[in-house]
Amino acid sequence: MLRPFTLHQPSMLTEVADLLAEHHDEAILYAGGTEVLLLMKEGLLRPRHLIDVKRVPGLDTITATGGYLTIGATAHHRAVECSPLVHERCPIVAGVARHVANVRVRNVGTVGGNLAFADPHSDLATLFLALDGTLTLWSRRGEHELSLTQFVRGEYETAREEDEVLTAVRLRPWPAGTVAAYLKFGVYERPTLGVTAAIQPGAAGRPSAVCVTVGCVGPRPQRLFEVERQAVGESPATLGARSEELGSVAAREVEVVADRHGSAEYKREITGVFVQRALHVATARAQGQETHARYAYTVIV
Amino acid sequence: MHATHIPSLSSVTVTVNGRPVELEVPSHALLLDVLRDRLGLKGAKRSCDIQVCGACTVLVDGAPVSACTYLAAEADGRQILTIEGLADGDTLHPLQAAFIEHGAVQCGFCTSGMLLSAAALLAEDPAPTRERIVHYLRGNLCRCTGYQKILEAIAACADHRGDRA
Amino acid sequence: MSPVAPLRVVGHSVRRLDALDKVTGRARYVTDLERPNMLHAKLLRSPYPHARIVHVEVTRARAQAGVHAVVTGTDFGWCDPYFGPAFRDRPILAIDVARYEGEPVAAVVAADEEAAAEALELIEIEYEEVPAVTTLEEALAPGAALVHTSEPLAGYFADLSTLKPKPGTNICHQFHLERGAGAAAFAEADVVVDDVYRFPRVQHYSMEPHAALAAWDEDGGLTVWASTQNPYSVRVELAKMFRLPLSRIRIIVPPLGGGFGGKTYAKLEPIVGALARIAGRPVRLALSVEEAFRTVRRCDARAHVRLGFKHDGTLWAAECHADFDVGAYADIGPRIIQKGTYTATGPYRVPHIVLHAHAVYTNTTPGGAFRGFGVPQLAWALESLIDEAARSLGHDPVDLRRQNLLAHGEEFAPGDTPIDGKFEESLNRAAEAIRWSQQPAADRGRGLAMMMKASIGPTVSEAIVRLHADASVTVLAGTVEMGQGARTVMAQIAAEVLAVPVESVMVPTPDTAITPYDQTTSSSRSTTMMGRAVQEAATDVRDQLLHIASQRLGVAVGALRVEDAGVATADHRLPYPELLQERFGMGGGELIGRGVVAPGRSAAPLGGSTPFWEMAVGAAEVSVDEETGAVVVESYISVADVGRCINPQQCEAQDEGAVMQGLGHTLLEEMVYEGGQLLNANLLDYRVPRAEDVPGHLHCQFVENGDGAGPFGAKGAGEGSLVPVSPAVGNALTRLTGVRFRELPLTPERVWRALRQRRGEKRLTPPHA
Repeated sequence: MLRPFTLHQPSMLTEVADLLAEHHDEAILYAGGTEVLLLMKEGLLRPRHLIDVKRVPGLDTITATGGYLTIGATAHHRAVECSPLVHERCPIVAGVARHVANVRVRNVGTVGGNLAFADPHSDLATLFLALDGTLTLWSRRGEHELSLTQFVRGEYETAREEDEVLTAVRLRPWPAGTVAAYLKFGVYERPTLGVTAAIQPGAAGRPSAVCVTVGCVGPRPQRLFEVERQAVGESPATLGARSEELGSVAAREVEVVADRHGSAEYKREITGVFVQRALHVATARAQGQETHARYAYTVIV
Repeated sequence: MHATHIPSLSSVTVTVNGRPVELEVPSHALLLDVLRDRLGLKGAKRSCDIQVCGACTVLVDGAPVSACTYLAAEADGRQILTIEGLADGDTLHPLQAAFIEHGAVQCGFCTSGMLLSAAALLAEDPAPTRERIVHYLRGNLCRCTGYQKILEAIAACADHRGDRA
Repeated sequence: MSPVAPLRVVGHSVRRLDALDKVTGRARYVTDLERPNMLHAKLLRSPYPHARIVHVEVTRARAQAGVHAVVTGTDFGWCDPYFGPAFRDRPILAIDVARYEGEPVAAVVAADEEAAAEALELIEIEYEEVPAVTTLEEALAPGAALVHTSEPLAGYFADLSTLKPKPGTNICHQFHLERGAGAAAFAEADVVVDDVYRFPRVQHYSMEPHAALAAWDEDGGLTVWASTQNPYSVRVELAKMFRLPLSRIRIIVPPLGGGFGGKTYAKLEPIVGALARIAGRPVRLALSVEEAFRTVRRCDARAHVRLGFKHDGTLWAAECHADFDVGAYADIGPRIIQKGTYTATGPYRVPHIVLHAHAVYTNTTPGGAFRGFGVPQLAWALESLIDEAARSLGHDPVDLRRQNLLAHGEEFAPGDTPIDGKFEESLNRAAEAIRWSQQPAADRGRGLAMMMKASIGPTVSEAIVRLHADASVTVLAGTVEMGQGARTVMAQIAAEVLAVPVESVMVPTPDTAITPYDQTTSSSRSTTMMGRAVQEAATDVRDQLLHIASQRLGVAVGALRVEDAGVATADHRLPYPELLQERFGMGGGELIGRGVVAPGRSAAPLGGSTPFWEMAVGAAEVSVDEETGAVVVESYISVADVGRCINPQQCEAQDEGAVMQGLGHTLLEEMVYEGGQLLNANLLDYRVPRAEDVPGHLHCQFVENGDGAGPFGAKGAGEGSLVPVSPAVGNALTRLTGVRFRELPLTPERVWRALRQRRGEKRLTPPHA
């Protein structure tokens, strides 16, 4: 059960700001509550005030403008999973949203809540990193943006200031012709590893490129720049042939932290394995084939 | 100043199993406790208490939700379906009949949540594949049945569903 | 056994009596119950694995609004605060010392759970940590800190009246069994294999955690609504503790949301009974799942097994040394080590054996009964080692088993029931179903394992059957409904004997004021033992009916039969209501029948003969992703020899559940302790099987030769199918990878490491494609 608190349901961001200013560290922002309420049940968080941001209009919208896909902070995972706009502009996002936790959490939990909680064992941040995820933070002092890398500082730690509200995450869908795959592996309730591999075709003045991100194995999601560097200019067929080698590079590059999901050694190893597999899936797709590979305890998006 | 400040009580107007209910609840009250203790609807159960097991599943506007981690205040203005509302009077929902028929009920503690999740799935997808059913039920645990008969019961309803959504 | 006459109800998959209530949400479990003026309790638990309680300050907690009582271990001078079925070593609340992280040290009774939880936080306890032993190795090391420093009183079970602790150590019981030349016989063996296996700490995760509601009446009697598997054992405990006659204690058992052994013997009832007495009002206590993990678990074990074979495959000698970790309080641990060790050699014939087991205290959650009761721990070792022996001998593992199987009617141990099944039939069916004789695909491995377990003996089950004036029937049987369908089975048996529709048979839930004595709902015993009691009671009623009809018709009883709720001759049928009318001279009264099944003690090594042998075979086909170590059970076959399925669908349902629970501890489940702290006592961090873990092909079969001692030739079921899962999967994995696994669960990293060691390489890079 929960300890008593006052529930505020402001309908404007300015009211949210006022409440935060008034109550400081006795107040917590609340959207889906899928993490916050659990911590409150355990007594790890004891806010006297819960500020529900779901009544602020516009915070839950999913829009696409200027080539970007913007997901409002209070959009539910389920909304993202089912959004025609997301399916049209960036279907992999819908695909990954579909596998967050379970359907009940997806109905209630929000994208913003998920990002703001910064649980290392989560999927969206890893994928969003590969989509140049940029977060918008609003406060009375103004609005500013942070890249995902700037926002997620470490395990459960973000750059959000006490008076700021996360209002949206903006994604830049990959250029047309990009073929991607997201693989998520794990036995436990939360994912043990997530890998994005996106193969972007070359264009005038720009060689083909690969974008690879890994999450869950370290304190924050990571871009594997060394892997990407070694993959520049390669055709999908070559990438496919080199996927094992690139996996090795990934295993050496990745930053890992041992926890109950695995030792550092194991996490490094499976990072290499799943980068290789993600490249395998993506390169197959890039060549017009859908791989029939199935890996145990693995979701392939 | 704080026009929307709600004191530690919340007024909740909600439809539960088709009947309108008006309640004043502490803001920190969880939907599961309000359903069970205030409304006497004991079918939803508390088990893991952290949204993993599904024993507390109820449908809010048709969507499965963990009542153990859902503020009663959030239910204001919404329609709630609990297991007690799944049957139509004396006529069982096809899923309830199928669970009995296929031997998918043992201790029964997961059953309420399992049935409501399955009902929500069939409302969304009347003929789901086994893979879809398994994916949708990821958050509904059972320790007694080993799932096989539950999956069979749901699949049986997927083939010829009744006239209930 | 006689040829089977066509049965009308028994052997049919009739619908469960309680299914409708459960699918409509009408079933009421303990936490759904309320009593007038009921209060709520919450427990404060020790944060340390081993600590002296130096000082407790409850003033602030007592002053909290809504709080009716704050109780600690010093508040039990009015009763005997110790309980436990083997040793009475467990206090209601910790007294002077907390012996495991999570042990209840204080309790609050308040108007609601919220007030109780708030008050808990106001209790101040000063602890002084003392050295703790949290593993078998630590607990058995010379000079180890002792979990218990004084010798507790023995409990009340016949077979445990000879408890053998080792003073000055953490060993609270020892079991020893020898036959033939014992260890000396190994000198005559041609091939000897020898290894050590470990079985992990796992938890039942009944979806309904433990709960109890107690209320005292004005005459000083106590009623407890309890989520318990043995109300009569609980009643005995409470009678001793609260110094009441048995007749003044009433235990009522609503349906359980799962039990699996975790709800056997007193758990919450003592504290709830005490709190209700202190508060002077009914008190309900419902544990959270996190608290259930700190209440009971399976005993982990380390088993060193040695087997000696002759060249021709004959199993000649077996030696087993098993240490079982029973946690901080013995609970039923001593019997677990006996039961598990008794059949350490499985369903095989071995002329020379030396079996020895220890029950060892550690400062961790108490170990208790859990489906399989010591047998899974040792079958994991034995069945894995048999496969190793097959490899050393150059024999096929299934052939090796078959060759050494005990035969139907053969003696297992002097004084005990002879083998009551054709085990070879189960083995052959399982082997065939997994296509043992054919090569699996290159990426698959197949493995098989058997098990055998004695059921509990001696026990007592008594039943009453009441035939009412309208031919409806009430069966009074104390068997607890925890999902296994026992109430339905009892109704089927009574309906069959009395030739009435099963829908007309009522089976009220257990209530010690109403349903007569039943020892326990555990050990797979209820269909056999209570089933026989019900059968006997129904037969008693039937005999009365036949007698009345015989008198009325002037026909010998032998020429009469029961049929369609009446007694019939060749050309005439008297409905039961008419017979009762005849008997009582009015439209009232009822016929009451009684059944008592109490085989008593015997010369068997465990003190009583087993009513039946539970025997099952498991066969698995697995694949492994070597790069991650993830194991998938692609196909699983279970064959259980159950004598007769009273309700085939429910037997199948139980065994499917048993297999999946077995898959849990084989691949997924493990309680993780660090420095005596339990780290993963919740469903986020403790992984139980989900629907997606069901093997692509899962089939549970039954051998029904009608050769059981239960009604209609039935035996017990429900535990057997869990036991072979881990060794079958382990053996399959070994046959696929060439690596032997000795620890569970077979998590991806564990398997990955073992496979790497096989290849003898350290690598930072992904292996071959």
